[in-house]
Amino acid sequence: MSKKANPKSKITLADYATIIRPQNFEEIIMLADKLRGKTIKMVNSTAEGGGVAEMLHRVVPLFNELGLKVKWEIIKGRGEFFNATKAFHNALHGKNSEITQKMFDVYNEINEENIKEMSFDEDIMLIHDPQPAALIKMKNKCDARWIWRCHIDTSHPNMQVWNFLKKYISQYDASIFSAPGFAKELPIPQYMIYPAIDPFAEKNRELTHYEINSVMKRFNIPMDKPIITQVSRFDYLKDPIGVFETYKLVKKHVDCRFVYAGGTASDDPEGNEVLNLLREKCSGEKDFHILLLPPFSDFEINALQRASSIVLQKSLREGFGLTVTEAIWKGKPVIASAVGGIPLQIINNFTGILVHSIEGAAYQIRYLLSNPKVMQKLGEYGKEHVREKFLLTRNLRNYLLLFLSLYYPGKSVIEV
Amino acid sequence: MSTGLGCASFHFCTSSLLIEITGKSAHHLKEFVRILKEIDESSIFFHVHNAFREYSFAPGQYSNDFARWVAEDLKESTLAEKLSSVYALDFTDLNAIRDRFVEIMEDHLSTAVEIRKASPGREFHFLRSIAIVSKTPYQAKDLEEFSTMLKRVGMRSLYFHFFDARLRLGHKTNDFSIWIRNCLQNEKVADEIDALDPYLMTMDQLRDRIVDICQGRINNKLFSMIIRIPCEIAHDIFTFGKRIYRLLFRWINE
Repeated sequence: MSKKANPKSKITLADYATIIRPQNFEEIIMLADKLRGKTIKMVNSTAEGGGVAEMLHRVVPLFNELGLKVKWEIIKGRGEFFNATKAFHNALHGKNSEITQKMFDVYNEINEENIKEMSFDEDIMLIHDPQPAALIKMKNKCDARWIWRCHIDTSHPNMQVWNFLKKYISQYDASIFSAPGFAKELPIPQYMIYPAIDPFAEKNRELTHYEINSVMKRFNIPMDKPIITQVSRFDYLKDPIGVFETYKLVKKHVDCRFVYAGGTASDDPEGNEVLNLLREKCSGEKDFHILLLPPFSDFEINALQRASSIVLQKSLREGFGLTVTEAIWKGKPVIASAVGGIPLQIINNFTGILVHSIEGAAYQIRYLLSNPKVMQKLGEYGKEHVREKFLLTRNLRNYLLLFLSLYYPGKSVIEV
Repeated sequence: MSTGLGCASFHFCTSSLLIEITGKSAHHLKEFVRILKEIDESSIFFHVHNAFREYSFAPGQYSNDFARWVAEDLKESTLAEKLSSVYALDFTDLNAIRDRFVEIMEDHLSTAVEIRKASPGREFHFLRSIAIVSKTPYQAKDLEEFSTMLKRVGMRSLYFHFFDARLRLGHKTNDFSIWIRNCLQNEKVADEIDALDPYLMTMDQLRDRIVDICQGRINNKLFSMIIRIPCEIAHDIFTFGKRIYRLLFRWINE
């Protein structure tokens, strides 16, 4: 059912129709028809880089193709505003960040400036993440319904930042979180919309054997034995040392290669420390490959995952874990820790395998390598599971449902 | 909205669910029972049916989300089995299902030697759903059209007419059987569909079984037309021939 796409060509609804079940496609068309002509404005803080911008680049044209009138605007800011919102972002993720009153003041000031420059004439305002959340101050001066979409894992937020933002978020008509554990106590409805992957993105599109082989050649990884890959940042929470320990246990019994491929975030000083530690640990191990990838290595990650027999995600903590979704979509059997959003994606022994320890991961890798039919089945089921629940089209459908529900507040059954 | 049970034709509807986070979470069984007693019915409905709607690869593994959590996160296998055995078809209202779950859990707690806690991040989050119901363009006038359309409509339509009808809308049967019984006057097919246990199969399997039942009936009709009718004619010709032979025999003898 998959369609090979030229990454540079314009992807339209018709392309997605070749990938998802026809009934799901018809449902999207039907729901969109009920919203035909509605004007919607999406607002975020960046046009390039990051998952939200990537998603909006794809979703906005699709909404318009469906008959809605969707605009996408980006708030303007200067260095100190983005430093403040970066600190807020980290604090909401639960990282230690120094938060000052000046940051809150800059945040309010920049949002006020944007309010003066923007128009708010649409039927629905969909505000992404904390940066533009204070635009809600305009709610009483326009007729729009307001939705706040949180793309951040706010399960353990810095309460100072959360309480500051909460006074704005509470004024919205509805909010969206990516997993139930990310939601907080709020006086407004909180809906759950899983993050999704785009099957036509560079990271997920189908590749030719030639493309896969060329990447493996470039990285000097022979494809002479089974390859087990983990794609993650060099971060203790992704457990790179645990991956190496797993390799040692597997390697005693099965001849294979492990690849740990990832980058280091520019604002993460720990990244280099983790990378050096891993390099030190596995020095002399010719079958354990460490790849430090530059940003925007989507094509290479795609090829690495497709060249692998098994994809591993032995994280100690995860957000939703979209790397797992991406690997499953490629029909790969995935062995992953039961943390964060991973159990939402992996139904143990059906769409992948959930593990809780290094020993468990090693045992399951050995088991799968000895049972290719099981690998194939996990891959097939997993791909169908992603097709149904975690593709961009599901996101599209959920947004349409949410837009419709805004016009029937408080109703649990809505007839349209 | 009419569910298409008028006697002219069956109009397929579909329901799409928007999932709402209630904000209520349980870390252990005592907390779970406390919330379960007060959570609204739509949350019970969601968690009893979510497994059928979403986990199409694991029919019968856990019949509801409560059993899944108790098994996977509290590691209470015995309790999970008991919760899984709560048979939704035995109930026609959600409060009765709630009471049954509470009864099983309280019974377990009264003899439990320890109260197990889910590890951080693995709490049970109570969700509920908002159903957005709409008519599809598909209609059927007879069993043949019905089978064809059933293959074309989505699983969410099947879910709406089979599961929603039973509990949320207070029907004791499903929309298909009602229409087939009342409008097509076909008791046999309606009863066979009614007898299906949707909780032990995937939605795909359920759809295929309904189509098989309808198709079986259609095939029986075809069988009648192709085989039975010529046989009856042959039988009549043979009987008529025998009479002629007897008449001739009597006439020759006389």
